[in-house]
Amino acid sequence: MSRQDNAAGAAVVLAYRDVHKKFGDFVALAGISMEVRKMEVVCLIGPSGSGKSTLLRCTNGLESIDGGEITLDGRVLPRDGRGMRAVRQRMGMVFQNFELFPHMTALANVASGPLTVLGLPHREAERRASALLEKVGLADKAASYPANLSGGQQQRVAIARALAMQPEVMLFDEPTSALDPETIGEVLNVMKALAEEGMTMLVVTHEMSFARRVADHVVVFERGSIIEQGPPAQIFDAPLVARTRDFLSHLGWEG
Amino acid sequence: MNLDWSVVWDNAGALARGTELTVLLAVVTMVLAVPGGILLALMRLSRSRLLSGASASFTELFRNLPLLLVIYAAYYVLPLALGVAFSPFVTALVALGLNVSAYNGETFRAGIVSIRKGQSEAALALGMSRWQTMRIVVLPQAARRVLPVLASTWVSLFKDTSLVSVISVGELAYTAMLIRSRTFRVLEMLTAMAVIYWSLGYPQAKLVDWLNRRFGVSE
Repeated sequence: MSRQDNAAGAAVVLAYRDVHKKFGDFVALAGISMEVRKMEVVCLIGPSGSGKSTLLRCTNGLESIDGGEITLDGRVLPRDGRGMRAVRQRMGMVFQNFELFPHMTALANVASGPLTVLGLPHREAERRASALLEKVGLADKAASYPANLSGGQQQRVAIARALAMQPEVMLFDEPTSALDPETIGEVLNVMKALAEEGMTMLVVTHEMSFARRVADHVVVFERGSIIEQGPPAQIFDAPLVARTRDFLSHLGWEG
Repeated sequence: MNLDWSVVWDNAGALARGTELTVLLAVVTMVLAVPGGILLALMRLSRSRLLSGASASFTELFRNLPLLLVIYAAYYVLPLALGVAFSPFVTALVALGLNVSAYNGETFRAGIVSIRKGQSEAALALGMSRWQTMRIVVLPQAARRVLPVLASTWVSLFKDTSLVSVISVGELAYTAMLIRSRTFRVLEMLTAMAVIYWSLGYPQAKLVDWLNRRFGVSE
């Protein structure tokens, strides 16, 4: 059974029902409804400012929502600090600007979550961190500080840091947008390997070829709404909505 | 002009003890005023208006009063207010500590707000509490960033300890002035003071430069 077949009937991990979010008068999310199933890779695409990143940030509570609800494994996300903290431990987040802690080595960055949040002993946290650095191909950079790593290397460390909490879902917020073109590939490869292992992933991206090849489901955002969603073959080869086609051709997508 | 340097050598022991007390005053003040400053900064940045207001009032009071006045006030008012008479040394510590804490508070506040929001978001996203985020991610970076400012506060403090001579704390300035008034060797004693303050201060400034190179964090 391929991963795709599996995902189709799998349990819903994240569900969004009519989610609204405003910043002042600006409507960032105007009623978003969608689902992410177990082991599925869902890519959010669309123009800048269309609400993709906001949805991600609402998912782990970095932003609060103004209406609707988000559920994780069927339970509505808590809004209090303690409950939110427990939920965040089950979701890994990777940021556009990496946000590695500059005063810690790569190893200490990856170990920071298990050490402080899970309270693992030093040796165990570092063992877990070493294994993850190895997994993202950076075992030799364990003692390096972020300032001495390339953008692509920093982002791979950031992925390892998020994985160290052994999350059920990984949230990627434009993980390659701040990278030099020559280092984008190494980050996408790590993400692709993660997808192949069956990690549930929600990815905001402008990398259309990644979405085309790796996603099980693609969601197109425009001005805080979903204008179309479906399998990549539909979105990229035969979009049902004219504005999806406009957006893709604007990016130079040739199918 | 007739200079007689023997007055310096004859009183070397007293000057050494005065110097010791100067160093001790500066060190203990800073040991109190660094945590004091961090506490004031955290209060100021907290969501509680009461804590924030209390911190702001404290800071603006002690930052904008002349240190000399605070020293006199501590000397005359503290015993009346608390009903306990402290030694001049403790009184001096209180006055210097209040003043330097106020400055350090502003320094740490500037350092904390200079750490970009994404850093605390990354920590929160891992599941850290707000306090863990502050302690493990934000404060260590802020402290490194404000190290040069703390260092210049330290250098000022080291010299400002001379002001507590007005409440007869037997530190370097007080001791030197005492010898001056006993021997009338003004120029010799002022020169001795200058040499001692400078030769202690200069290596500190160099040490600070080294600390900056060693612990400065680049992004």
